[in-house]
Amino acid sequence: MSLELSAFLILLAISVAVPTILFLLLRSSLNDLLRHTLRLQAGVTFYLRSFLLVLYLAALSAAIGTSFDLKPDSRFMEYVWKGAEGVSSTLEKTLWFVAIYMVLITVLVATLKVKDDE
Amino acid sequence: MTNERYLIVSYFVCAALSIALGLLAYLYLRRPFAGLADAAPGRSLPTMLKRLFPCGFVLPALLGFVTVSYRSCDRTTYTEIVASRGYLIEKNQEQISSILLYILAAVVFWNLVALLILRFAHDGGDGPKARQLDR
Repeated sequence: MSLELSAFLILLAISVAVPTILFLLLRSSLNDLLRHTLRLQAGVTFYLRSFLLVLYLAALSAAIGTSFDLKPDSRFMEYVWKGAEGVSSTLEKTLWFVAIYMVLITVLVATLKVKDDE
Repeated sequence: MTNERYLIVSYFVCAALSIALGLLAYLYLRRPFAGLADAAPGRSLPTMLKRLFPCGFVLPALLGFVTVSYRSCDRTTYTEIVASRGYLIEKNQEQISSILLYILAAVVFWNLVALLILRFAHDGGDGPKARQLDR
C-alpha cells in the first residue's frame, strides 16, 4: 500500500472515530434533554439522527477534502504533516457544526420551555 | 485508463454519488420527519413539507457537486486539466467534500424547519394535532 493511501486511510479512520466518540458521549444526555422538551417522539428521533448526520458529514467532508498529492520524493514526515492538517480541518469543521447544532438545540429548548412555563 | 477516460467516468460516478448520498440522508430522516410534519398546522402544509423533504436533500447534494469547477488559475484549458491524474483525483475529493457539506447545510436547514413546526404545533392549543402531541 502506498504511503499516500495509508495516510488518507488513517485520516479517514480518525474522522470516523471523532464523531463516533462525540456521539457516544453526548447521546444519552441529549436524548434525555429532548425527551423532556419535546412531547413528540418523532421529534426526539429526528434531532438525534440529525446530530449523528451533522457529526459524520462535517468530519468526513473535511477529511475527504484533504489531498495527499505530494511530490513523489516526499519524506515520511511530510505525509504526517499533511495528515495533521487534515485532522486539524476535521476537528475544526466538526466543532463548528457541533456549536451550530448546540445553538439550535438551545433555541429549541428555550422556545418550547418558555411556552410550557407560560 | 487514460486521464480523459478517468475524468469522464469519475465525473458521472460523482454525480451519481451525490444523488445517492442525498437520498441516503433523506431516507435516514424520512420517518421521524414525517411524524414531525404531521404535527404541522393546516391540512396542506404537512403534505407539502413531506413532498419537499426529498428535494431538500437531493438538490443541495447535486448543487454541492456542480459547484466544484475543474478550471483553476493555473489550469484553464481542457488539455491542462486532463494532463495530471493527481489534479483530477484532487477535484473528485473536492466534489465529494462539497457534496457532504451541502447535505450538512440541508440537515441544519431542516432542523430549523422542524423547530418552527414544533413551535407552532406547541401553539396549537386544543386541536387534534395538539392532542396528538400530548399523547
